[in-house]
Amino acid sequence: MKAYGKGWVTLIIVLVIIVVLGLGIFRWYISGYNNAVRVDEGAKTAWSNVDTALQRRLDLVPNLVETVKGYATHEKELFENIAQARTKYFQADTRGKQIEASNELGGFLSRLLMLQESYPDLKANQNFLALQDSLEGTENRIAVARTRYNEAAKALNSYRREFFGSFFCTRAGVTEVEYFEATEAAKTEVPKVEFGE
Amino acid sequence: MRLHSLFCISFLLLTAACGAAAEVSLPQPGHYVEDYSNVIDQDYERSLNGILQEVEQKTGAQVIVLTILTTEGIPIEQYAIELAENWQLGQKGKDNGLLFMLATQDRRYRFEVGYGLEPYITDIYCGRLGREVLVPYLKKGRFGQGIYETGLRIAQRIASESGVQLSGMPKLQQVPQQRRGTPCCGVLFPFLLFFLIIATRGRILFWMLPFMILGNRGMFSSGGSFGGGSFGGGFGSFGGGGGGGFGGGGAGGSW
Repeated sequence: MKAYGKGWVTLIIVLVIIVVLGLGIFRWYISGYNNAVRVDEGAKTAWSNVDTALQRRLDLVPNLVETVKGYATHEKELFENIAQARTKYFQADTRGKQIEASNELGGFLSRLLMLQESYPDLKANQNFLALQDSLEGTENRIAVARTRYNEAAKALNSYRREFFGSFFCTRAGVTEVEYFEATEAAKTEVPKVEFGE
Repeated sequence: MRLHSLFCISFLLLTAACGAAAEVSLPQPGHYVEDYSNVIDQDYERSLNGILQEVEQKTGAQVIVLTILTTEGIPIEQYAIELAENWQLGQKGKDNGLLFMLATQDRRYRFEVGYGLEPYITDIYCGRLGREVLVPYLKKGRFGQGIYETGLRIAQRIASESGVQLSGMPKLQQVPQQRRGTPCCGVLFPFLLFFLIIATRGRILFWMLPFMILGNRGMFSSGGSFGGGSFGGGFGSFGGGGGGGFGGGGAGGSW
């Protein structure tokens, strides 16, 4: 034992400590980086689910409008608004604009469904009822997908604002994402019921 | 003493606050039919439970029927999906679970369909099933039968789409229609029969004998009674799920 001397022992201990520390830092870096990638992917997947649900709604709209048109002949303005909101969604090039357009469309669609109160014949139409079921199901899917997307977006955004999280996010090229909030306009837009005239 | 009561109060407040913000949580279902509202007659419950067990054994799809009193202000859509995800209904990777639930005090129902069943248990199908089968029974207060008939149709659909036969499948009943107009012949029929028996001095009974023996859904079983279809099934227990992929598909409504 004595042949090696005290110096060697200290050197080896120091080396071991450096290696262990280095490994620790390396693993910490990897996990931090991976976490940035994970939250980013999570938000992307969640958004693609939102997108699928929104797309499904857009596919339904023409059929629904056609069916309602046959009964509600005095609602030209609403039909035009729906068509415009739909075009607006297709033209949207950012997520924010897509969210805005789909909120707008959602408001108009709930008004469209309300029409059955003023046109009772609609309620008896099997085709309308089926489309209504589809639309309600789709709206529910959108709501579910939106909640999940917002959770994923929250995970991403809060990680991005954390002390080390921001460092890893920058390294991994992860940028902040927008929340999908139902706008106040869509929520409060209650259809006006006009009596008389 | 004061400190103690203060502690008690704060503890109570804390639990109350927790209760208000409570997540949707019910114990894992032990059976395929969980009737917390106690509105399903035992025969129906047992039979439906047996059928749903067979459905799982043969197709892997897990269908749970649940009745509760109230969702405590939570929208039933949200309640159903959270519960279905908590319970992880369906097989892992297949997500073939379905939760059919009623909140009897809220007078609302909901079909929550897992991703794997969405292709054929569509929103439109669920909407029609609710409107045309379930609600007519519920409106008459025949909860057990309504839930039973609805559950059977779901089971039947899953089985036929999966290409299997359910051995314990009873015949589906005609849904009661709310008809206006002439009184149903069900009321007049006994009188008519009585008259015929008198008029033919009993010979009509002889002619009707084969029908009485053969026809288990024959002339005598009009109305809501079961003609001959025996209840099979049993209280087979539910072994838990592993899936849980729900995206909000299905339909719901109120009565």
